[in-house]
Amino acid sequence: MIELLASHYTYLTAMVILAVGLYGVVASPNLVKKIVALNVFQVGIFLFFISSAFVLDGVPAIGTHGPGPYVSPLPHVLILTAIVVGVSLTAVGLALVVRIYDGYGSLNEQVIREVQADD
Amino acid sequence: MEFSLFLALLVFVMISAVISVTLRDVLSAIIALAGFSFGAAVVYVLLRAPDVALTEAAVGAGATTVLFLVTIVKTVRPAGERVFERIRWGPAALALAFLGTISLTIPSIPRVGAPDSAVVAGDVTRYYLEMATPETGVENVVTAVLAAYRGFDTLGEAVVVIAAGMAVLLVLRREVYV
Repeated sequence: MIELLASHYTYLTAMVILAVGLYGVVASPNLVKKIVALNVFQVGIFLFFISSAFVLDGVPAIGTHGPGPYVSPLPHVLILTAIVVGVSLTAVGLALVVRIYDGYGSLNEQVIREVQADD
Repeated sequence: MEFSLFLALLVFVMISAVISVTLRDVLSAIIALAGFSFGAAVVYVLLRAPDVALTEAAVGAGATTVLFLVTIVKTVRPAGERVFERIRWGPAALALAFLGTISLTIPSIPRVGAPDSAVVAGDVTRYYLEMATPETGVENVVTAVLAAYRGFDTLGEAVVVIAAGMAVLLVLRREVYV
């Protein structure tokens, strides 16, 4: 157990961040905070990918003429794309939140449900 | 020295994630999220991913924070006397069950920094490291893969960004918001 902790610490951190993000998405009544939690969840996945590319005593894959070892560039590329897509999704989500606030006058999940039930 | 710094950073990132999710005040949560994002960017630097770290610091900690701040200017910021939310045990149990389930996979993941792991020693990685600079003339292999080998992927990314921009404009199409 302790050896696993010592040899997989970044993966464990990523998984803890995923769990914290999931808790936030489910537990927060406020819609903006749900999106904050979604961003936290996302970083957990990024950290998992970047950890998988890491080599002990490795160097970034820039000017690959030296002896190396080099970290793998492929997960880095995937995560670069994912970060930009994540921000786009955050922007759309927040725009919907602004629109929901305009329609219901609240950002609280419970209040919005009650208003919907009244209509 | 670097290892203990690294562990301290990982602890910082985990704690700031918990803080940003549990803070009651939305503005405080957003600031905590920016700190969390920046901590993650420094972790990427220590994991030898400078390109990702730059993007995370600029886009994750910068642009996302601005988007959130604009949102709370346009909406409300619920006030309350409590600093942190009360813990809700149902979702907490769900998150713990999720953590327990995914951490079952840890023994089958190669240890951190293993030089023989499937990602690092795989054919694709080896090909990119050997051939990217001779084939594309770009010294930075990440840039070469992003713009040349996976160019269609990057084009798709640009399409997603444009689609998101159009969606935001459509959702907020009234003059009140512009």
